[in-house]
Parts: sequence; C-alpha cells; structure tokens
Amino acid sequence: MFHALVAIKQVPDTTNIRIDPDTGNLVREGVPAIMNPYDAHALAAAVELKRKLNGKVTVISMGPSSFNATLREAIELGADRGILLSDRKFAGADTLATSYVLAQAIKAIHEEEPVHMLFFGKQAIDGDTAQVGPGVAVRLDLPIVTYVSSIREVDLERQKAVFDRRTERWSEIIETSLPVLLTCEKEIAPVPFAPLPDLIRSLRYEPEFWSKSDGPATFDDAYVGSKGSPTIVYKMGTPPLPEAGEKINSREVGVDAAVKSALQQVEAAGVLAEILGGAV
Amino acid sequence: MNNYDNSGKITFDAIVIGAGLAGSAAAMIMAREGLNVALIERGNKPGAKNYFGGAIYTHAIEEVLPGFMDLKPPFERPVTEAGFWFLSKDGMMRASVQGGKLEKEPYDAYVTLRAAFDPWWAEQAQAAGAFLIPKTTVIDFIRDDDGHGQVIGVVTDRPQGEIYAPVVIICEGVNNLLTQKLELIGRDLEPAHTALAFKQVISLSPQLVNSRFGLPDNSHGLAVSVVGDVSLGLPGMGFVYTNKGSVSVGLGVMLDVLAEYRLKPYEILERYLKHPAIAPLVEGGQLLEYGAHLIPEGGWRDMPDVYTGGVMVAGDAASMVNALHWEGTNMAMIAGKLAAETAIEAHSRGDFSAKTLSRYEDRLRERFILQDLRQYRNFSKFLEQHPEFMEVYPAFLNDALGGFFSAYGKPKRQLFQEILGALTDRRGIFKAAGDIVSMGRAVMGW
Repeated sequence: MFHALVAIKQVPDTTNIRIDPDTGNLVREGVPAIMNPYDAHALAAAVELKRKLNGKVTVISMGPSSFNATLREAIELGADRGILLSDRKFAGADTLATSYVLAQAIKAIHEEEPVHMLFFGKQAIDGDTAQVGPGVAVRLDLPIVTYVSSIREVDLERQKAVFDRRTERWSEIIETSLPVLLTCEKEIAPVPFAPLPDLIRSLRYEPEFWSKSDGPATFDDAYVGSKGSPTIVYKMGTPPLPEAGEKINSREVGVDAAVKSALQQVEAAGVLAEILGGAV
Repeated sequence: MNNYDNSGKITFDAIVIGAGLAGSAAAMIMAREGLNVALIERGNKPGAKNYFGGAIYTHAIEEVLPGFMDLKPPFERPVTEAGFWFLSKDGMMRASVQGGKLEKEPYDAYVTLRAAFDPWWAEQAQAAGAFLIPKTTVIDFIRDDDGHGQVIGVVTDRPQGEIYAPVVIICEGVNNLLTQKLELIGRDLEPAHTALAFKQVISLSPQLVNSRFGLPDNSHGLAVSVVGDVSLGLPGMGFVYTNKGSVSVGLGVMLDVLAEYRLKPYEILERYLKHPAIAPLVEGGQLLEYGAHLIPEGGWRDMPDVYTGGVMVAGDAASMVNALHWEGTNMAMIAGKLAAETAIEAHSRGDFSAKTLSRYEDRLRERFILQDLRQYRNFSKFLEQHPEFMEVYPAFLNDALGGFFSAYGKPKRQLFQEILGALTDRRGIFKAAGDIVSMGRAVMGW
C-alpha cells in the first residue's frame, strides 16, 4: 500500500507578527499558531496521491503538546495518522538536531510500514532555513528533490516517480527512484476545504505521542535538543529601511527638467558607468 | 460517541448554529441533560467573529452556569463605576455612580473582551459534552418531505456537509441570513435600526488605567456611556470601558446616518479620541486593536418569529437587544437557555412541531426579555425623532454646571437666568418639557 509521510511544523502566523525592537526577537505572545503554509501544500499533495493510489498518509511533527492542534488540522486535511515527537530533551534544537530527531522517527515508522514518499514544505515561514528536509534526506540516505512544483507520475511497481522542480529561471523534470524526499512549493497542490466527516474525525482525534524514551524510535542524547545543536544565534534584528530618495515633481519643474536632473544625479553617482561598462 | 446513524448520516440530538453567548448557553444546557449536541461555529474558534464594548452581566452567566466564578472566567475588571459622560465641544460632565452595591461581590457586571470570553464560554459547553464544530458555516436547512417541511437538519458549506437533528437553535448573530431563509422575518436588516459600533482597544499600564480613571486598584473598573459631542452631532452613543491593561473606547452610529453623511467610522472615532476630555485619558497608549460589529437596535419592531417546526432563534439573530441599557449579552444567554429547555422538553415528548416549540416564546414572555423589549418598543423610534437628546442636552448640561460652579463675579440670579437661557435658546422651555414627556413615553410606556 502506498504510504506517504509528511513532516509539518507549527509556526506563528507571520502575517500577524511583531518584532521586539530591543531584542530583535519575534514577539510570540498572543500570535496565533498555524501550520507552516508550505507544509500544508505538501500535505495536500500527499493526500491527493493517497486518494489516487488508495494509500495512507502519516504526519509527524516535533514540538510541545500545543502542536497537537496542527496535527489535528492535518487529520482534517486528510492524513490518517499523526505523531508528535515531544520531549523536553528535544527542545532548543537547531536544524541539525531537528533533522536528526525526525530522521530517527521516520526510520521507526518506515520499519513498521515502508514509506514511499516523504513530503516537506520547501521552508518554514518563521526560520526560512530550508535545511530540515535536506538534512533528513542526507541522514536517511534518500534522493531529494527540492522546490517541487508538481508531481507528474508515481509508479509503485517500477518504484519510480517524476516531478517538476522549479528553479529561478526554468523548470526541471526529474525522475527518481522511490523512496524519495521532496520539499514542496505551494503550486504542488491547493489546500482543500475539508469534507465535514474529515473535520469531525479530526476533532475527536488524539495524535500519538513519542518522546525520547517512549515510542518505537531510539535517540542518542548527544544529537538531540540544544546539546545536539551547534548553531549559535549571534544577533537578530530588522534590517534598516533604505533611506527615502529625493522626489522630483515633474508637475512643478516640467518633465524635461525632471528627467535631466534625474540623469545628472545618476551620472554623478557613477551608476550608469557601472552598468554599461563605461559606454556612457 | 458515534455521530453516524445506520444510513451513514451525521446525526445529533440537537444542532446549535453559532458558538456565541446564546449558542454556547443553549448547547451547555442541552448537553448537561445528556443530549448529543453539535455546536457549529463559522469562525476559527468561538469569539473569532464576535465583538462588543463591553461589559457582561453576571446574573445571566450565573443562571446558565451556577458557580461560574470557580471556573475562572477571563474577565478584565468588575464594573465598580458606571454612568454617563456628557461631552460638549470642549468639556465634559460626568454623572456616574460608584461604591454601594457596585462595590460588593458578587459583582453585577465585568468588563470583558469577547476574544477571551467566548472561547471560555464555549469550553464550558464542551465540558458539559457539547461537540464544537468550528470553521464551518451553515448555509441552508434540510426539511422533512412529509408535507410540513419541518426542519430536520442543516447544510454546511463543506463537502458532504449535511448534519441531521430534530431540533435546530439558530444563534447566528446580527446578520440573520438563516432566519431570513426560513422566512421567520420577511426582510433584511434595516439600516435605520442597525448600529455600527466600532472601537479601539488602547494599551495602558494597569497603573495608568487606575490613575487616569480614578480607580483604586486593578479590581475596580469603569463602564460609561458617552453622549453629546462624540459623533459629529449625529445620533450616536459612545462608550469607555477599562480593561486590565488597556481601555476600550468607541461608539455606535446608525448605519443610515453613516450612509447619508458618507462618514467613515474610523474618522469619527479618531475625532472622538482627540476630544479634549478624552485625549488625555488615552495619551501615550498603543493601539492594540480596531474592530467593529453591527448591533440590531430595532428591538421589538424587528423581532422575527422566534420558532417554527424544528427551529428556535435566540440572541442578536432575534433582535434581542435593549439599546438604551446596553443589554443584549444577558438576553442572549438567557434566551439560549430557554430555547434549550424547550428543546429538552420536545425531546422528552418526541415532538418537535411548532406547537411544542411555541413554549419557547411563552418562556421568553415570562422573563424580562420579551417584557423589556415590548416596553422599549418605541425607544429607537424616539431617538430617531428626537436628535436633541444627543446634541442639545449634553451641551446644555456642560454649560449649566460649568456656570454653576464658576464665580464670574455676577449676581447668581443673573447666572441662573443665563443657564435657563442656554436651554431655551437651544430648545425652548415647552419643547424641553415635551421632550421629557416623550422620552418617558418611549421608555416607561406612559
């Protein structure tokens, strides 16, 4: 049976966020938590596939018990099973430690029920690192396709799949063997408005709880949580806003004069010479 | 708990539409009696769509949920001072009461923020066993095809979104599209009977709230209506409520007035906040939120039929608001309870016909809800016809008291004549007497 695994993260709703001007940290207090939007699209793609191939979707997340709300939302969106990796010892993890914990859990899930495809969002909107998906792929020694914008074909018999991968300038079509790990763009699938029976199931669903010592996965203390996190955040802050430019009002000085004055200033700054390689 | 019957339909004993004050009260009462209740809320969570001034009355909470204070409701401050502020162009006269009964526990009312209170209120319904279904909007009804067309369920906006139940309590709020859909009322909201209330919540430290509003400590709070120069001389009423570490300042203006004068709510509010008597109270505070909500102020005139076969209507959807006294939340909760009691009765009889559910209206009539709404039935019409209560009198009161407490170095007899003159210039002595009589008529039913 086709088995997809989706890793999701609960993030503060950054459309609604403030930055503490003194510390440079996000003010998380009172900010609603949501499922990382890229993860929601990755999940939607996994659910589409499971319906087509008559399979199963397992969702995992790492975080405190309040993340249960996001796992329930995953059930609402069509996932079958939700697992929360939650332990005090996991806390304070950077992307290295996070990908270790996820990889260990995925190994255990794979042993129970082989996984064909692993879906990650292309990045989380709070950290923007885009490192956890690739980190897990490396630890599990899986092929990885990043920035997947659509799934062309999944062939369970031949153990092959074909994807569109978006880059800045063009799109690549990539064929890989299964299992494969994807990090997904939003275009991969629209997030559906869940049918009522799925919503009702999610409201009654209790996600599974795996901790460091409780659950089928094994974890080495040295690699989890802040202990396993070499990243040191030196400083956080908001970049200064660029200074406002000078405004030349063409209605006051006339269009010709305005253009001339603008050109003069550009020339004086040497910008044109830089761009045109001294042709001016 | 299984919500599916043998044919795979989602079924409950009762459906409540809207997890607001009325809806969660209704769900709580029915669930407590063992009914399997679906509480359907269109917002992300209860309270997401709700907004008020405001203060909430404890008598209604206590009636629905006895001993509720032990469950730590998220209140801001008890109302220990209440009254009116009369604004003139550049001054203010305060008439408020404090101490006495207002100071004694149990407090009559608490200043509250709905975004905190409504989720707590719905949690109490869930604790009693009600099943909350959020993020889901009811768009239509399922009717029995036996010829009577009795409502036997609802259709939601989700795929496979039908839910069946023999009784549905509509607590959909002011925008009563479903009540209209059932033709329980034959028209949409009337702009002349509907107020848009809007407010800012401005953060201030609890210490600043206390010192600026004359409150001894954080367990004292103020709730006042502000009349006069709040809304550009147009019919409208302002309010000020002290939260723990913030202040709610806002006002309500009728929709037809906003439309006729092409007024933008935030412009009126900005002006009101700059009033010389208001500005110092909120100075230096940071804007935390700006919000608005409609209030159905038509009262008795705009009440729909509150029941039909398989259906009852409670709260704002049924126009249960007493605009003069800022009552509505209490009516909503108690009406929700009365509808729930009627639904429980219907279940014990196994009869959900209009005849059985008509007991709901009897229950409303036995209580203050229908009695008050009936008594105040002319009040909103009265304010429409007597704008002077919003303009002339507040300004007069300011002048009169300002004069009374000033030593101008002139004979007092002359001063009193001037004060009286200030009234008669504005209104005329006989007109003023007439105003008082017609106000009495509107309020007391003289």
